[in-house]
Amino acid sequence: MKYLRKLLALCVLATAMGTGTAVIAADAPAKLVVKAEKKDLILKGDAKCTGCHDEADEPSGKATMLELNPGVLAIATTRHGVKGDSRTPTCVNCHGDSEKHVGHKGSGKPPGPDRSFRKGTVTPAAVRNEACLTCHKGGNRTRWEGSQHAVNDVACTSCHKVHSERDKVREKKAQTEICFTCHKSERAQTHRVSTHPLDAGKMACSDCHNLHGSAGPKLLKKNTVNETCWTCHAEKRGPFLFEHRPAVEDCTNCHTPHGSNLTPLLKSRPPFMCQECHDGSHQSATPVGPAAAGYQAGLSTTISVNANIAGRACMNCHVMVHGTNSPAGGYLQR
Amino acid sequence: MRVFEMKASLLSVAVLGALAAMFAAPVMAADPTEDEVAVIRRPTNFVEIGAENTGRSSAKFGEYNGLKKAGGDAIVNFSLKGGDAYQGGDGVTRWSVSGTDLGTTSREATVSVSQQGKWSLGVGYDELRHNISDTYQTPYQGSAGGNVFTLPSVFTGANAASTKALSSGQLGAFSNVDIGSTRKNTSLTAGVNLTPQWDLKLEYNHLEQFGAKLMAFAADTRSGAAKGAAESVSILPNPTNYKTDTVNLALNWAGEKNHLTASYFGSYFRDGFSQVDWQTYQVATGKTAGVNMNTMTTAPGNDFHQFSLMGGYFLAAKTKLAGGISYSRNTQNDAFVDSMQNAPATLGATAGFGNLPATSLNGVVVSTHADLKLTDQSIKDLSLSAGLKYDKRDNQTPSNIYSFYSFSGNQALYPNAPLSTKKLQVELAADYKIDKAQNVRVAFNHDDTSRWCGQYAVLANTGTTTITGFPAGTNCVVATGAKEDKLATTYRFKASEDLNLSAGYSYAKRKSDFDIYARPPIISTNGSIFNAAGVVVGSLIKGQNASDYIGFHPYLDEDRKEQILKGSVNWQANEKLALGVTARYTDDVYDTTYGWKDGNQWSLNLDASYAVSDTESLSGYVTQQSRKRNRTDLRNIPGVTSTSATTLTTVLYGTDSGTLKDTDTTIGLAFKKAGLMGGKLELVGDLSYSLGKTDYGTTLNWAGTSSTGATCSAPTILACGDLPTVKNTLTQFKLTGTYNVDKASKIAVGYLFQQLKSDDYFYNTAQYGYTPSTVLPTNQQSGSYTVNVISASYIYSFK
Repeated sequence: MKYLRKLLALCVLATAMGTGTAVIAADAPAKLVVKAEKKDLILKGDAKCTGCHDEADEPSGKATMLELNPGVLAIATTRHGVKGDSRTPTCVNCHGDSEKHVGHKGSGKPPGPDRSFRKGTVTPAAVRNEACLTCHKGGNRTRWEGSQHAVNDVACTSCHKVHSERDKVREKKAQTEICFTCHKSERAQTHRVSTHPLDAGKMACSDCHNLHGSAGPKLLKKNTVNETCWTCHAEKRGPFLFEHRPAVEDCTNCHTPHGSNLTPLLKSRPPFMCQECHDGSHQSATPVGPAAAGYQAGLSTTISVNANIAGRACMNCHVMVHGTNSPAGGYLQR
Repeated sequence: MRVFEMKASLLSVAVLGALAAMFAAPVMAADPTEDEVAVIRRPTNFVEIGAENTGRSSAKFGEYNGLKKAGGDAIVNFSLKGGDAYQGGDGVTRWSVSGTDLGTTSREATVSVSQQGKWSLGVGYDELRHNISDTYQTPYQGSAGGNVFTLPSVFTGANAASTKALSSGQLGAFSNVDIGSTRKNTSLTAGVNLTPQWDLKLEYNHLEQFGAKLMAFAADTRSGAAKGAAESVSILPNPTNYKTDTVNLALNWAGEKNHLTASYFGSYFRDGFSQVDWQTYQVATGKTAGVNMNTMTTAPGNDFHQFSLMGGYFLAAKTKLAGGISYSRNTQNDAFVDSMQNAPATLGATAGFGNLPATSLNGVVVSTHADLKLTDQSIKDLSLSAGLKYDKRDNQTPSNIYSFYSFSGNQALYPNAPLSTKKLQVELAADYKIDKAQNVRVAFNHDDTSRWCGQYAVLANTGTTTITGFPAGTNCVVATGAKEDKLATTYRFKASEDLNLSAGYSYAKRKSDFDIYARPPIISTNGSIFNAAGVVVGSLIKGQNASDYIGFHPYLDEDRKEQILKGSVNWQANEKLALGVTARYTDDVYDTTYGWKDGNQWSLNLDASYAVSDTESLSGYVTQQSRKRNRTDLRNIPGVTSTSATTLTTVLYGTDSGTLKDTDTTIGLAFKKAGLMGGKLELVGDLSYSLGKTDYGTTLNWAGTSSTGATCSAPTILACGDLPTVKNTLTQFKLTGTYNVDKASKIAVGYLFQQLKSDDYFYNTAQYGYTPSTVLPTNQQSGSYTVNVISASYIYSFK
């Protein structure tokens, strides 16, 4: 079908040319006329590139350039294709002058441009990134150098598509698709029973992380874990009269943000979670075994399960685990 | 599926080009590609309308997806763009209007307009319904989202504290209440380029959250004549009546070598309720039935202001200094709420709200941050970096002694402990390119954390063994600091153009500082009681940190040695087949007498993708993850000598051990098949499977027996052994077919099967008749479901 479509396209074009380009046909093939004119198509000065990177046949004649690299001209639909903006780069601003590539003659495959952004390119990531960071400097990218992504040779184009109307990594619903290409553990965690609404497309990784480098841990947007969480969960920010130290210091002491088997995003289930820090308080001094599962587990029908170990366990009474402003809340009960 | 774009195909471009050529031959002769380019320049617009039907009601399935309960939802999505910036001339105007999932409660809409390089303006609306439970039942009267809950007369005073069974009249008073919350966010974004170097950006969000989340409300024992039963628990809808306004304002400057950003971030939170009042469903034996109103506080309103300055400077072409500083001020001064648990300021004084040391907190936390990183790549094949980070949370909130009653009726006198922390981090790293294919990185990190209270109220010893003194100079935190050093190395090897390997190892050692004489506020019966002169006047359980025994440390404070081993292989086997393996293993050993002893976690991931042809592809992955921790705790219950049929005799300083284990398996398969039905039909399928298991096991390290001779594993005791596994199996299969009616029109048909099988003992206590004696049942279910969803929509795309 693909070849049929190509054939049809060529026939249509050929027919049209045949009926309407008699002058050209008398002088030279249409393709050569276009190349000879070298008129800019999208960007200022792009004729140097689009003379070949348009619909002209590639040297091997097996396919058109547009088929091989359909995105090249699609840059016209992006912010990089707005000629009226004086900042808009030209092809060579990003790809380099690429004299060897441009000056290639013959039927063989030409050498690549000075900077190639294709998958598997030999152009080092730092060199590729230089093309972007020349203009996109500062702001959220202030701390790019030496950041986790930078030192792992992640290039801007590893995530961003420049020659495409859609840049998935900038779309909330599609962004995880890009990030999970590398972050496999997090991909798996988002399929667990308790998650942030990532899979539902209502949150993106970049809601919490600044992938371009940050002062916070794990590339978080804010300086600390809690500052980041409190951006949305401002009710837990306080300051409270009675604070709970683990909650004040780091939300991830108890929560695992990408997904958990225990609702809500817990690393462990009370009372066990509480016992990781509290050992001697009243009921936590009682070893917790299967009795915590209650009668419904069919384990016991003769004893009354203690409310301090069943269900919400410690949080049946100590509910204000994020802190409280009640003068009667010293035990985080009010 | 809902968002679909139509790219200009070669055929469509050819047809357009041909038409143009035929009817405008003289022009095309000079410039045959102009119209083709004009088509390419235009943005893709689309409108999608349709309907979807959900087969079965489930709050868990509809947790975030915005679908109604069983029944139909409309599919409405669109994206329209335009402006002269798409015309290839000197125009720079772009506008867009979009709507996503408008037929559901997960709807989202945006409008934006900009003159590229000059200014931009955008408005957005985003809604999200979070469904929590649709099986919850309660006899309480009062709406979910409200803050007053009363009981029908069949409950008033009818239940003693020991009552487990409910009468038929009481059971009849239960009714179903859907629990969930909704957030609505309205945003405004604006930007202006003042000069080529300066630009200003503004982002404002107004977030409203309303609804309720379930929370336990435990009864007060001190309700005067109508005294409630201690610790009788009602699970009630705790209202989320929140409004949060957020402002981000940034002024950016970018020069040739330097860049600087000055910004302000403000977040202002307000809660529509200051308290929640409810009646307890149980009263203490012998007390008068009546209105036993209890009070729970809600989240206080707070303000957060942050001023930041960050920038970077290229000292040389490949040497950069970057960093930032910020100053934040977080305040909270909501009036304290009167509570029946508020107690007299001193022993024997008159009880009452007026005896509080302050009417509000006057809470102030000042946070300062500074970071600086020097990166250098001037030496061939060597990248160096040195970084420094400093974070300080200075809690300047006043500390006072607060008197209140516990649920058991005992009076407590504790100071609030405004915790301050400071963390200094140093990072040194070197990255060396051995050759074109090999790279090695070595990094060293040092973290130094300190904790303290800038002020801590003083309370002299009261002379009673139930009230602990807080002499001057007392530390409010046991773990006053920690230092951690970490050395990590990574090796990467590009074996060939198609094969990449990496391996890494790190070793970290954390050492904490402890003050075993510190007295955190909830010290309860731990530690010896000192008088003002520091002389022990009471001998209780020796311990620290909210009653922890000596030798036990919270896991986050324990001395720890951690080793991490990781590796990956990515192989492009041929043009069609790509394979990837990543693995990571973490081993922790804790140096403590009691608490976590050791733990490990690992993950293994296998990925494969196969491009069968240009129109057909397959991909899949398997991820296995495991986490295991072992602990040993002291069970020191002084004075326990009696035995009963349901209580084991414990020995002084007996220990028990526990194992916590998580195992997760995730599998994903996807396929895409285009070119069907004469090239008009494309099928996309996606299958995912997730199995999560959590296990807890307990072993008693003493030979305990009850009065009947039963051991810990007896059905009447069950203090040791394994809990039922918390097991969640989630299966999802999505199949979408898109049929191209013509160049502009598509019909999309989708099918979704999703099934959750959830076994979680958490919900056992919520069932009627089997609850702990002091928890009112709620009929909450674990959320298992099997749901089928079908959808059909028409998509019209145009340029």
